[in-house]
Amino acid sequence: MGRLEGRSAVVTGAGRGIGRAVALLLAEEGASVVVNDPGVSVDGTGHDDGPAAQVVEEIKAAGGNAVANTDTVATSAGGEAMVTQCVDAFGKIDILINVAGILRDRMIFNMSHEEWRAVTDVHLKGHFNTIKPASILMRQQRSGRIVNFSSISGLRGISGQTNYGAAKAAIAGLTRVVGRDLGRYGVTCNAIAPGAATRMTATVPDAARQLRAATQTQQQTAMSRSVTPTPAHVAPMTVWLCTDDAWNVNGKIFHVAGGSISLAHEEDPIHTIEKTGQWTVQELIELVPNQLMHGIINPAPPPADLDEVPGRPAPV
Amino acid sequence: MTDLLKDKIAVITGAGRGIGRGIALLMASEGAKVVVNDPGVGPDGTGHDDGPAAQVVEEVKAAGGTATANFDTVATEEGGENIIKTALDTYGRIDILVNNAGILRDRMIFNMSEQEWDEVIAVHLDGHFNTIKPASQVMRQQRYGRIINFSSESGLWGNAGQANYGAAKSGIAGITRVVARDLGRYGVTCNAIAPRAWTRLVATIPDNRPGRPEPKEDAPPRPKMDPEDIAPMTAYLASDNAWNINGQIFHVYGGIVSVLNHPLPWRTIYKPGMWTLDELSAQIPTMLEGTDNPMPPAERIEGPATAAEVTG
Repeated sequence: MGRLEGRSAVVTGAGRGIGRAVALLLAEEGASVVVNDPGVSVDGTGHDDGPAAQVVEEIKAAGGNAVANTDTVATSAGGEAMVTQCVDAFGKIDILINVAGILRDRMIFNMSHEEWRAVTDVHLKGHFNTIKPASILMRQQRSGRIVNFSSISGLRGISGQTNYGAAKAAIAGLTRVVGRDLGRYGVTCNAIAPGAATRMTATVPDAARQLRAATQTQQQTAMSRSVTPTPAHVAPMTVWLCTDDAWNVNGKIFHVAGGSISLAHEEDPIHTIEKTGQWTVQELIELVPNQLMHGIINPAPPPADLDEVPGRPAPV
Repeated sequence: MTDLLKDKIAVITGAGRGIGRGIALLMASEGAKVVVNDPGVGPDGTGHDDGPAAQVVEEVKAAGGTATANFDTVATEEGGENIIKTALDTYGRIDILVNNAGILRDRMIFNMSEQEWDEVIAVHLDGHFNTIKPASQVMRQQRYGRIINFSSESGLWGNAGQANYGAAKSGIAGITRVVARDLGRYGVTCNAIAPRAWTRLVATIPDNRPGRPEPKEDAPPRPKMDPEDIAPMTAYLASDNAWNINGQIFHVYGGIVSVLNHPLPWRTIYKPGMWTLDELSAQIPTMLEGTDNPMPPAERIEGPATAAEVTG
């Protein structure tokens, strides 16, 4: 007897990678699953019914219950269609997992509006498009689990990903608010920032990899501790958040990579300076470098060979 | 007046009122030449009025400063480009970009319309991209620049009824972290401020939202939180003194300035392999010890929703 017997779930982007692993584990635990995937390429173009259909076949072959959906999350009609399909096929929606995503990396000064729009539409609007219709039903039935997918790209910052990083950080904010909007109705909303080798990470150019490695001086991620972080590693924590045991876990962000699972820091104060009344800029010039910013590092400082950096002390 | 920002060219969006106005006035008094952008919309983004931006320009000039008005919206690609172009056409460059423009359309997630979502995201999140993109090209070429974005505790900490605003404001923290890394090596910094101040935006928030604590009768008076209190830290981040502060999020109100944690791994459990659900049931409560469910289920949760809730 699985932990999710009798529950029904929508998993977006479930045709491959992390979404597929989550769908398989949900089904193994007894949930009936809408396997959503329009079968697009990593940059969001194209369409293929194959990936979603194949995961449905895998679930059925293992004795589980699943149906395929190939709508896009990037439109409100698409989001509503997959939630409706879950209700039509299985009678209700208990679980919504928002995994679908695409990548269009570019440095900010070269990023086109189309690249910005396509990525924020799928990730951020895509989360709203499924959460809105699901939240109406979950609120009425007084139970529900929503698990969103954020990313270290937005939570720490990764060069070349203004669109993706903005959307993924926004999803963390969305998670915190939705957790507060729905918590009293027995619904939880949490987010996972996964680290896994998928076809999406395979698109990152080597030059960008090196650059990112060079700028990641401040924090070692949990990812570096684990051997080979696979999509399957992300599934247990995602599915656990959907179980009854997680009834009181809400509005939280978790980093999951390989065998590492971390609760993310709240974005609360590290250092504070305080006075009664308004600061003057002159006072801030004295206090900020030594007190407020003590021990806090510039993640991408101007290089030594950049000639003029006004304010930087001359080398001794 | 001092000369902290002497001859720097600054663009400030949403500078016709509130926090943006305070920043424009202080930067001008520190010697910056200022583009005062404001389309003069209502707190919900509707309407148009050249008056607020024009009036702040007059205030700057009356105090002996230099300023020009711009009335474009940040919510479109063309608007963002026009705002930056105004600085280039009028003053020949842009050194400082302050992204302060914003609107509110509060609604619980289950009642929020697509339009309410789209319009708030367009002004806040797209609005930041629309100005940063053209400004970043110029700043990269001139090997100098300061970008100061406006986030909010609504997204960083979570605030019921603000899925659109909270998502956008948290997304702006993400933009800030990425842009800092894209531009840092070119002598450009990008930071964000999450302000708290009594402005006309805050005045639109209903006082009867569920979960909002009742004000106590004997509660001390609210601390003074003027919009002008945000300006000194903003001006400091725009100065040469802040050349090495980059990719950070600051919480600013009254006489308080805090630098905030990024949401990176805090408490970690590790095993060399796959976790099972049983193991997680045993481990996760320990990981969460001392943290709260910000909105736990109501005491009496059984039973269907009331008719009023279903239709409301």
